[in-house]
Amino acid sequence: MSLNYTSVQWNKQKKGYDKILWLGIAFMLICFIGFQFLFHPEITAETIIIRATAITAFLLLHIILSIGPLARLNTKFLPLLYNRRHLGVSMFFIALIHGVFSIIQFHALGDINAVVSVFTSNQHYQEISEFPFQTLGFFALLILFLMAATSHDFWLNNLSPKIWKTLHMGVYVVYGLLVLHVALGALQYEDHLVDWVFLLGGFIAILSLHLVTGIKENRRLQKDRDLLKKDGFYEVCLISDIPESCAKTIFLEGENIAIFKYDGRLSAVNNVCKHQMGPLGEGRIVDGCITCPWHGYQYKPEDGKAPPPFTEKLKTYQLKVLDGKVWVNPDPNEEGTYIEPVKLEDA
Amino acid sequence: MSQEEFYIGWQDEMPLSNKQFIKRILIGIFILIPLFLMYVVLFQKPFNHHHFEFGTLTELTGIYHGDPYPILEVSDEDSTEFILLVGFGKFGAEEIIYDIQNEHGALLGEEVTFRGTLIYGDGVTLLELTDQEESFVSSKDKEVEPFEGLDNSESVSLTGEILDPKCYFGVMKPGEGKIHKSCAIRCISGGIPPVMRVLQDDGESYEYYLLKGKEEENINKEVLPYVAETISVSGISFYQNGWKVLKLDLESIERNK
Ligand code: HEM
Ligand code: FES
Repeated sequence: MSLNYTSVQWNKQKKGYDKILWLGIAFMLICFIGFQFLFHPEITAETIIIRATAITAFLLLHIILSIGPLARLNTKFLPLLYNRRHLGVSMFFIALIHGVFSIIQFHALGDINAVVSVFTSNQHYQEISEFPFQTLGFFALLILFLMAATSHDFWLNNLSPKIWKTLHMGVYVVYGLLVLHVALGALQYEDHLVDWVFLLGGFIAILSLHLVTGIKENRRLQKDRDLLKKDGFYEVCLISDIPESCAKTIFLEGENIAIFKYDGRLSAVNNVCKHQMGPLGEGRIVDGCITCPWHGYQYKPEDGKAPPPFTEKLKTYQLKVLDGKVWVNPDPNEEGTYIEPVKLEDA
Repeated sequence: MSQEEFYIGWQDEMPLSNKQFIKRILIGIFILIPLFLMYVVLFQKPFNHHHFEFGTLTELTGIYHGDPYPILEVSDEDSTEFILLVGFGKFGAEEIIYDIQNEHGALLGEEVTFRGTLIYGDGVTLLELTDQEESFVSSKDKEVEPFEGLDNSESVSLTGEILDPKCYFGVMKPGEGKIHKSCAIRCISGGIPPVMRVLQDDGESYEYYLLKGKEEENINKEVLPYVAETISVSGISFYQNGWKVLKLDLESIERNK
């Protein structure tokens, strides 16, 4: 535990997660290959490999994209989020097989370099139905590679969580590219309605999950806007509105704040986890520490510092209690600044 | 809410309520996935029954013709087949034949034995010269009169798809259409003779035309922008060495959108 970037360690749950993940991947591949032999026995081995890996990777991507919003809507999904990056890296490797086999099958052993051929063979770039769809897959694979290569917490620390997070938002670019890759490629050949229903159904499902989560979040922020303000402090809620060992979150003057109630005390820290910007306010106090719901990073509520040997620090905020109501000053204190917790008996 | 169990990933065990919930989700996923995949595969466009005898080399003996493309006329007691020769990978046979002739003398009209891999489907056979120049086994003087051709030419207008015969007649599935477009472009660019596939009036059978230019020159590079999509063309068609040939008027090509 000496290196600060290895704090998410291997453990029993993680191993179980990977076991189920690879079992699931094997299950998908076997089902697909089995159905092909059953319904289309004249298929060639290359086409089976190309299609089985394509569909498996694309399905995994849908699961990956759903986990975030699902975990915000229902915390019971959190165990799926914990090890999501293994899901992402596995998806990359399966997509890589698809991409490499497609390039070999359709472009290699020809009169020009195979990768150059991906971009120059079909030149109808200004059209829709004849568009060279492979190029879209190529860029998607490139972004996936960058994400997989930087997925370790080492890179998270080196690039800073903000840049890392931005890079990993690239998954939405990847998804967009791939929807088009499939729509302008395979679905221009396969002309069955079922394929369009699946593709658009998946797209609508992902979109609405994100919209619902976004609207919920937005509504919360809206509510926070017209609060009473006095001497730099805003009136947030009743003490009784905060459940024991949990937090009330609030967004004020650009500060995302979580106010925790624990052991008859109140403390306020920045709501954004230093690991991957997880929502700390949806976490709990466990063993006296704020515990992030995503990967379990911990911070002491009174000074926002992770317990040693860890070094992460959060901004802290001044609180006061008047007539059973909690007030917070959104002017942040430097990360790791100790602030005397508000004792509720005193108030 | 505080009484509820809280999930922490780095603990050895997750709370029971999480466990049961995740278990239910996983069971759902494991049931839905096969159903989804079954539908995808069931409604997949069926493949043709063409063959590529990958890994099996066959020796064929017949009369060699150079027009409209390298062709081997192979006969037995009751039938004659005109087998189109193609190269290894995404290449035509013309350069290989050129190298063989440099070493062994002219092949035209001689009885030649080639060793290669058979490709066949829909009544058409091709031989891939898998070992390049080494595919040549032997040749024997036959002094066959060059075939002058009957005057069977006619003006035609056709609608169909240009494809590469090597992939279409067996090497790839699918070897046609959008998915395969780039590969067909590579193959035709590499010298594999472009073939135009034309659906017949019965709505299910096809005629195949080997494509040449107006002056019977090769037009592989010129047709590349039109490969693997439905186009209408006109030109002069005639019959030569077992194949229909279309002398294509490049200016007549129209893409059907
Ligand atoms: C270098 C990059 C890529 C190339 C050259 C490429 C090429 C192709 C080709 C040629 C097809 C049609 C194959 C067929 O249906 O027989 C295809 C289909 C497909 N590709 Fe890609 N692809 C690439 C990257 C990706 C990536 C990263 C994904 C991510 C999941 C992906 C997902 C798919 C899917 C879902 C299909 C439809 C599957 C099907 O036809 O059954 N591709 N791709
Ligand atoms: S522990 Fe990973 S985001 Fe908080």
